[in-house]
Amino acid sequence: MKAAFDPVTLATPFFIVAIVLEIVLARLGRARAAYEAKDTAVSLLMGLGSTVAGVLTAGAVFAATLWAHQHRLFDIPMTAAWAWVAIFFLEDLTYYWFHRLSHERRFWWASHVNHHSSQHYNLSTALRQTWTGGVAGTWLLWLPLAFLGFPPAMIAIEKGISLVYQFWIHTETIRRLPAPIEAVFNTPSHHRVHHARNPRYLDKNYAGILIIWDRLFGTFEPERDDEPCRYGIVKNLGDFNVLRAAFHEWIGIGADLLRVRSPREALGYLFGPPGWSPDGSRQTSAMIKARWRARMQEKAAKPAEADPAAASETV
Amino acid sequence: MSWAFLLQTLASAAAIAILVGFTAWARISRAPPKLDAAGALRVLADEFPDASPATPWIAADGAGAVARSGDEALMIFRLGDGFVARAAPWARVAASPVVAGRLTVRLDDPGAPRIRLLTGDGASPFGEGAAS
Ligand SMILES: [Zn+2]
Ligand SMILES: [Zn+2]
Repeated sequence: MKAAFDPVTLATPFFIVAIVLEIVLARLGRARAAYEAKDTAVSLLMGLGSTVAGVLTAGAVFAATLWAHQHRLFDIPMTAAWAWVAIFFLEDLTYYWFHRLSHERRFWWASHVNHHSSQHYNLSTALRQTWTGGVAGTWLLWLPLAFLGFPPAMIAIEKGISLVYQFWIHTETIRRLPAPIEAVFNTPSHHRVHHARNPRYLDKNYAGILIIWDRLFGTFEPERDDEPCRYGIVKNLGDFNVLRAAFHEWIGIGADLLRVRSPREALGYLFGPPGWSPDGSRQTSAMIKARWRARMQEKAAKPAEADPAAASETV
Repeated sequence: MSWAFLLQTLASAAAIAILVGFTAWARISRAPPKLDAAGALRVLADEFPDASPATPWIAADGAGAVARSGDEALMIFRLGDGFVARAAPWARVAASPVVAGRLTVRLDDPGAPRIRLLTGDGASPFGEGAAS
């Protein structure tokens, strides 16, 4: 069930026009954008499938939100300007923690990984949305807003605004925005870092609209001109199969659970960081970062052999 | 699900088909050049920075490579305009069969369950008598 005013539905024609424009500009050599037809197809089909999956779980999500609102602590009027300011910040803070959880714990990563599964970064990548978010239950994180007293329609609209905002930042066409904007808002530059698989950039910049949360909670990483983003996931997918993009991590969890030898292992596979394994034979992003830091330190210790840019690196 | 939603979904599917066709027509992406040993080692160094791969075997169509690093086989193969990489125990890769002219390596990995690399002569490059 959607609010009568749904920012995402309203913005869909704009999404299509913007993608066409980005492709045309890239074709004319006026913009930097890498589009691969099959990759674009997967992104767009993920977007379409996501709206269908969303409709299937929307009833339950709306009922839960309504229930929370019926037990609200305060009466927050949808007509008050202060209420919109408050929900803007609170929804964005909720998004930050939802997004961080979605990267740091495998159960929720399984539903979010598809958004990162493209090796490209363009406006179509923004539409590569989850099919399994409803099942993963991350929508529960927004219930406290209803419990506080924000009307369900207001929460739905603000979530929609956040999703629409995050569309335009999926581009390589815009390099950097003026410093005050880069300081406060999530921008193409900040979100490129979020989509990069370079060890330095892994699990950084979880922001929705405001980058201030990353600065506040220690997950901010600026994009560096001397280290271009390499997009995708640590182990990129082996084909352009949309079902694989949607379900591969869930299948991986299932296969691991069939082999567990103790409840501890089961918990680790389900709720440990992505890449967790009982014997440490796989790599979590913390392990990847630690090895990268060690390499950098090694290079810095042998400046004569290393290239000068890497040797001057501080880690 | 209402008729309106079904209609909206069908319209979106049509829009996707047109957009993908447009992307294909625009031909912005360029397939990477065929791999040679140096090119493969560059990709392998990016993907496996801790490894020290030996001289790689290059697939006959230049779309993939395998290099040994200790007990591991480091594999790369082209996907679209990029590459995908995986590592597997060397023994498993060396024992992998050739199916329809392609070395076919099965992996325990739902993200890439199978890697298929074109052999020149239909024989495994790492099989009996082959140099590894
Ligand atoms: Zn993410
Ligand atoms: Zn994104």
